[in-house]
Amino acid sequence: MKNFVREERTKKELTQVQLAEIINVSRQTIISIETSRYTPSVILAIKLAKALGKNVETLFEVERSD
Amino acid sequence: MKYLLPHCFKKIGSIIAPVGFVLWIGMQFGLVTKLLIFLFGESSATQSNSSYHIVNVFVAILSFFSFLAGIYFVTFSKEKVEDEMVQRTRLESFQFAALVQIIYIIICFLFILLFKDPGEGGLMLFFITTIFLFWLCFIGRFNYILHIKIIRLSKA
Repeated sequence: MKNFVREERTKKELTQVQLAEIINVSRQTIISIETSRYTPSVILAIKLAKALGKNVETLFEVERSD
Repeated sequence: MKYLLPHCFKKIGSIIAPVGFVLWIGMQFGLVTKLLIFLFGESSATQSNSSYHIVNVFVAILSFFSFLAGIYFVTFSKEKVEDEMVQRTRLESFQFAALVQIIYIIICFLFILLFKDPGEGGLMLFFITTIFLFWLCFIGRFNYILHIKIIRLSKA
């Protein structure tokens, strides 16, 4: 699954730590999501989308291989 | 994960586990007796040999159980921020540790069957290493992934 979390976070001028604090997760989780090492649950994806002011569909993109 | 201890136990565990281990190793090499002789003298050592032995046994029990408790605290304590990714990493690390333990047991059994009888001491060593290998593999992998590998990924 492709995601645009890093791009949207930098647009909002948020650091990884700040974003992690907003959605109450660890910084490691944000890093893992941004580097596509970890696919978040639906709840976490919605929280991320809300924090970044985007829709889940624009933040996450399903690839053919998924 | 309702069985996890609060995060502060991780710090306590990471202090008492190595201290207990070093103390236990020191006791095995007779360092406690040497320290007692250094403090109270050789003559005193021969006179009160039984009291020195009691101190040794006490140190052995204390160090071994503080090592065990330390390992337990480090393994079963929450991270500062406990979220789904941390929980998944914990689960994967348990699976990894279990796999390593099974492979180790198979190799040890093959070694015992094919080559030699390990004797009572060898069997005891095998059981102790089997138990600790699991916990050490878990602690090593979990903390490596969470505190080293992911942070490196971020820098890259």
